Amino acid sequence: MIQILTTYGGLLLAAMGQTLLLALCGLFFACILGLIFGLLSVVKNRACNIISIIFVDAIRGVPMIVLAFYIYLGIPALVNSALGFNGFTLTALQAGTVCLALNCGAYMAEIIRAGIESVDKGQMEAARSLGLPYWRAMVRVVLPQAIRTMIPSIINQFIITLKDTSILSVIGFPELVNTAKNVVANSFKVFEVWTIVAIMYLIVITALSVLAKKVERRLNRGRE
Amino acid sequence: MAVNKQNVKIHVSHLKKNFGNLEVLKDVSADICEGEVVVVLGPSGSGKSTFLRCLNRLEEITGGEVVVDGYDLTDKKTDINKVRENVGMVFQHFNLFNNLNVMGNMTLAPTELKKATKAEAKENALRLLNRVGLADKADAYPAQLSGGQKQRVAIARALAMNPDIMLFDEPTSALDPEMVGEVLQVMKQLAAEGMTMVVVTHEIGFAREVASRVIFMEGGYIVEEGTPDEVINHPKQPRTIDFLSKVL
Amino acid sequence: MKKLFALGMAAMMALSLAACGGAGSSSAASTTDPASSEAATAETSGTAASGKKWVIATDTVFKPFEYTDASGNFVGIDVDIVAAIAEDQGFEYELKSLGWDGAIAACQSGQADGMIAGASITDERKESGWMFSDGYYTATQTMTVAENSDITGFEDLAGKTVAIKIGTQGAAYAESLKDEYGFQTQSFEDSPTMYQAVLGGQCVACFEDTPIMQASIKDGGLALKVLENTANEGGDYGFAIFSENSQELLDMFNAGLANIKANGTYDQILAKYLG
Repeated sequence: MIQILTTYGGLLLAAMGQTLLLALCGLFFACILGLIFGLLSVVKNRACNIISIIFVDAIRGVPMIVLAFYIYLGIPALVNSALGFNGFTLTALQAGTVCLALNCGAYMAEIIRAGIESVDKGQMEAARSLGLPYWRAMVRVVLPQAIRTMIPSIINQFIITLKDTSILSVIGFPELVNTAKNVVANSFKVFEVWTIVAIMYLIVITALSVLAKKVERRLNRGRE
Repeated sequence: MAVNKQNVKIHVSHLKKNFGNLEVLKDVSADICEGEVVVVLGPSGSGKSTFLRCLNRLEEITGGEVVVDGYDLTDKKTDINKVRENVGMVFQHFNLFNNLNVMGNMTLAPTELKKATKAEAKENALRLLNRVGLADKADAYPAQLSGGQKQRVAIARALAMNPDIMLFDEPTSALDPEMVGEVLQVMKQLAAEGMTMVVVTHEIGFAREVASRVIFMEGGYIVEEGTPDEVINHPKQPRTIDFLSKVL
Repeated sequence: MKKLFALGMAAMMALSLAACGGAGSSSAASTTDPASSEAATAETSGTAASGKKWVIATDTVFKPFEYTDASGNFVGIDVDIVAAIAEDQGFEYELKSLGWDGAIAACQSGQADGMIAGASITDERKESGWMFSDGYYTATQTMTVAENSDITGFEDLAGKTVAIKIGTQGAAYAESLKDEYGFQTQSFEDSPTMYQAVLGGQCVACFEDTPIMQASIKDGGLALKVLENTANEGGDYGFAIFSENSQELLDMFNAGLANIKANGTYDQILAKYLG
């Protein structure tokens, strides 16, 4: 264990850095996608609702590992042959970000939809009755309340996404699991390496949970 | 009721409203003039709340004509937000914005819609809160207020837009009995100041005392209308008589 | 500390072994019933050779050393070599296809007595407590690039990304060169994805055992070419054990390996898979 840490500790830490980088990139775009598709699912427009449903169901219906292969290997090939480009490729980080953003974005869209629907519709009506346009009522009145109820689910989704980065090991992104597999292969020490990896994930995720709880408490202060 | 046509604030003719296959309003016509206080009575399911919600198009209008302040609400080109700025609404369940304190509730629309600067909006809000007796609650959040206080803030919030017309949708139905009085008091004061008001309520006493006209609705139609004395004390229609015998 | 791991992990391994007992363990040539008997056999290790059924772990797919062929049979160089040696030495065994990590873990936790999975014999692995048989296969590793690539040698790799497969000698070869020639490596978990990354241009080259690469290019009709001038001196694959209790198995493996090399069986097996 000590030997693994002294030999590979730096490598594993760097890999954790890559894991966090990938998770952050993915989450950033996931939030944007989630907000767009979440809002599309609540507006009173059948076409928008259907677009959102198709997106969410399509992404939820495909395992992320399949999505990862498809985006990393399939999309560039498709783009090159369809648009006559030559040598267009995605890096593992780019493909991984797209993959996480799509996957997490679909779940975020559902969380955001549920959050908005959990806000009493009287809130929207009252805002509209004062003459506020739909989107301003949404942004100033409904969303702030929806976000408060969504926060626990969003935190949960962030943690799931952080763990899901490990799936992107299959497209060779040097995140923690990918690196750990290399270390295992070199050292032949399965248990020690995976124990270290488990502890690393545990520390980071626990820290995030604690931080998130603090944010949640802060947002709720003085309201109840 | 000699009404000068130029003073008609709300003109409704042959209004129809369906929810899917359910016809809630079948054929409703009414004119409401400036300064009138019209109380709409009727059993639940009679369509009275739907009628009220059609007046600021919170419900899409299925058929007929609704003209408010000269704006034709059935015309798709009408900027409904402009109309609503001038038509305040008070809800049964108050619908104060839970994410904002009382001051935030009162200043949101005026500042967002550029009706006033932040300072002006605050000053106006304080004046209105004073009027409803809640100046000390400016910093409170809705969850910290009683039902009666919430409804008084809701009325003040609607007044903050300086509307010409106020719509009340069962404003006292969700209140504990001891809080009904304080809300009705504010409404009476408003009526005395000449506000054009349409009030859906079960408060017969309020209707008798304050209304300039009472409309009795049932089954999607206006069954009977007239002065409070005519409709409440001397109803002619059997359904009005039946309804009043149950609530009085 | 090590004991503690072994205990905890053995429990986890038992679970995962039980889980893949149905689908994963494509038990090869040898006989009888699966999972249920293994706890018993593990405890009796160290007793006489006769009657003991050795559990040997292997990878799931490492073509052509172990893989499932078109008719659903679990085959490969490793599979055939173990079968030939067992027949020669007269021991019973059960081959469990657990995957690379699973195979290593099974040996470490005592769930398996040894592993054969195209594992290279390296000093680092020996220092970690593993014991290897004599080499049963020697391969050189080479660099492979896309058919239309301009790359002719390591000098052309500066600033580029090269695909490797986790745990292979090719990966070790690439890692040993990357600082000198200034390229990066990207580690894939399986060969097909690694090849596809080169074909798709995500990586400019990959490192792989020469005969395996050649066989894959031929079988799969891949638009790749092996750069023969990039071969290294090569290294040996060995059968590996983790526990001294398996020393007897290791000895039998070495003896049997010598015999099948002498009687020509070994060459037949290689010819069968590498053409």
